[in-house]
Amino acid sequence: MPNVASWLPPALTQMAQRVDSLFYIVLGIVAAFFVIVEVLLITFLIRYRRTRKNRTGKGVHGNNLFEIIWTLVPTVILVFMGVISVKYVYAQQTPPPHPVVIKVTGHMWYWEFQYPNGLDTRNVLDVPAGQPVLFDITSADVIHGFYIPAVRVQQDALPGRQTQFWMQADTKDIGQSFPVPCDQFCGVDHSKMHATMTVLSPSDFQQWEASQLQKQKASSGS
Amino acid sequence: MEAAMRIPARKSFFRDWICTVDHKKIGIMYGVTALFFFLVGGLFALGVRTELWTPYGRFVDSQTYNEFYTMHATVMVFLVIIPLLTGAFGNYLVPLQVGARDMAFPRMNALSYWLYLVSGLTLMIGMFFGMPDAGWTSYPPYSIQSQGPGIDIWVMTVHLAGLASILGSINFIVTIIKMRAPGMTFNRMPLFTWSMFVTAFMQLFATPALAGAVTTLLLDRHFGTVFYTAAQGGDPMLYQHLFWFYSHPAVYIMILPGFGIISEVLPVFARKPIFGYHAIAYSSVAIGFLGFFVWAHHMFVAGMAMSAGIPFMISSLIIAVPTSVKIFNWLATIWGGAVEYEVPMMFASLGFIGSFIIGGFSGVIVANVPLDMALHDTYFVVAHIHYVLFGGSVMTIMAGIFFWFPKVTGRMFHKTWGYVGFWFYFVGTQVTFFPMHLLGLAGMPRRYATYAPEFHLWNQVATIGSYILGVGTIILLVNLMVSAKYGRKVENNPWNARTLEWTVSSPPPEHNFDEIPVVTENPYQPYPDLEPETESAPAGA
Repeated sequence: MPNVASWLPPALTQMAQRVDSLFYIVLGIVAAFFVIVEVLLITFLIRYRRTRKNRTGKGVHGNNLFEIIWTLVPTVILVFMGVISVKYVYAQQTPPPHPVVIKVTGHMWYWEFQYPNGLDTRNVLDVPAGQPVLFDITSADVIHGFYIPAVRVQQDALPGRQTQFWMQADTKDIGQSFPVPCDQFCGVDHSKMHATMTVLSPSDFQQWEASQLQKQKASSGS
Repeated sequence: MEAAMRIPARKSFFRDWICTVDHKKIGIMYGVTALFFFLVGGLFALGVRTELWTPYGRFVDSQTYNEFYTMHATVMVFLVIIPLLTGAFGNYLVPLQVGARDMAFPRMNALSYWLYLVSGLTLMIGMFFGMPDAGWTSYPPYSIQSQGPGIDIWVMTVHLAGLASILGSINFIVTIIKMRAPGMTFNRMPLFTWSMFVTAFMQLFATPALAGAVTTLLLDRHFGTVFYTAAQGGDPMLYQHLFWFYSHPAVYIMILPGFGIISEVLPVFARKPIFGYHAIAYSSVAIGFLGFFVWAHHMFVAGMAMSAGIPFMISSLIIAVPTSVKIFNWLATIWGGAVEYEVPMMFASLGFIGSFIIGGFSGVIVANVPLDMALHDTYFVVAHIHYVLFGGSVMTIMAGIFFWFPKVTGRMFHKTWGYVGFWFYFVGTQVTFFPMHLLGLAGMPRRYATYAPEFHLWNQVATIGSYILGVGTIILLVNLMVSAKYGRKVENNPWNARTLEWTVSSPPPEHNFDEIPVVTENPYQPYPDLEPETESAPAGA
């Protein structure tokens, strides 16, 4: 992990890469407008400064053609941005068939994960690579925010309500770990509420799930 | 007859200020009170930034940190920016600009101020009994469970400030509709008054939703109701809907009057008519209208279906259009001008336009549902709102204060120190808030007292920036205080401005106008051509 984090973290899923490309498209458009406005602002301020020769500004009240242009052009661009984003929304909303369902519950101040085989962990989130994983998210107390920066998705964990999102980790990231912070304020230890997600190969995941369950049963039985 | 004309030599402070119903004095009282709270809110911000100097949070404990940022935002939103823009600028300027002798309901106007003051004092005194710790949004269920009187004090503060807002907005609406001078049609109204007109409607329609939200919160806390308790059939998301139905329009309440200030300052110092008067006026109306259709963009990840965010994404993107129309018209106002680099102009042009657009553009990014899924509740959002409220609102407030300072006091501020203060603010804004974008992109959540070590560098940079802003604030406020007493006396219209408030003495007489003016055109008319100077005579001589 680099010492100074100052840009998007590595993207773990294909969906995250697609979101990143959307981000770069939008950033490119707004950055271009940013440059245009700043350059015009500074140029005009310098070019049209008060001098002994230039003591009065032009007596211009406006120009309808310009008004129409700088109303329509941003409208078209902004609506374009909205329209191209719609398909990402539906892609993110619709999980692929037969996902591995992991139930996520926010507590003050830890994450609880319940796996399909009944395994129950605290702050330990292991996911199989190459398979769709669906998170069913809820809260046992106050609102928390279930956020995986590497996946570029978050959903709040609310009491009495279930939210969802899905992901599918790339196989190239097997063995890597990613932070899973809580990002909705939830009380005094909000900033310490932090899980770690590790990507495993599907077979390792199965094995891990089974062995952990054994351990859990053994410790609760004793 | 002669006795009636005589003005008492000197009234007592009590008669002069405490009992006053004069809109100008009420405006000044709003301004002075809000600037005091500005210092308080700023100190809380410095506390927050000091805590974040190290990743481990060694300055205060986490609980105190949560209280600090809650107090910072509550003070800045409810006690500083809204009261300064509407209470101070609105009260002082609207009657003067429309050619009226006072607001429509002067006593209610005084009541607004005193409610606002009590609201602020509630929070300040309440602080010693317990500070709110749930953020300025105060989401349940946490805010219901939060111990101590902090949240209750917060609710009272919001209620009183909200009541002051509602009374004030009724006053502005009636004043602007009924009390305009002869000939002052809507299409001849100054643009600041236009922006206040729209702002007042937003306050009137939005504030009751907030009152409902915080009242039910209080009932849930103390009277056993279950509005927001999921286990008993309540729904915590309902609060968020009510809260943002107020608080998104509130963001425009906090910037529209500032847009109005910019529209007054730019033409005066560019020596030009404003470019696109009607476009600027009507785009305010468009913002006011659309502002009520975007609230759920704060809730894309709060439990609604992802696709339910799409209409709010589209409306949020479209509301950027009227704002960009304003930006282009302001640029066109500077184009072909004869720009004088006075302190208010520096705040309005480089300070405001130069910084605010960053907040506008980052707003376009977070309005986008898939991008907000990634960036919501991170420092990217913190960067966005601070570019809007500091790079935007506070810059316009400073532009306005320095612009109307000679009118209010009859004296000129110290110009050199004004420039120094400006540069502290401009540089401080970028150094403090720009790195927050980078932290947010990297995934640092907001409202964190401690953070991972890889976020250390940019947090330190932001903390340094916040101290630059702190020093800048002291420089600017000391300049205002000293100049109000010792500044050079100036004539009634030192900037050669055109709106009606500049036609009367500085400070204006208690009754504003000896004779109610008759208006024949809007105030943004071309300046008479001046021959190029051959000798080094002072400009405007």
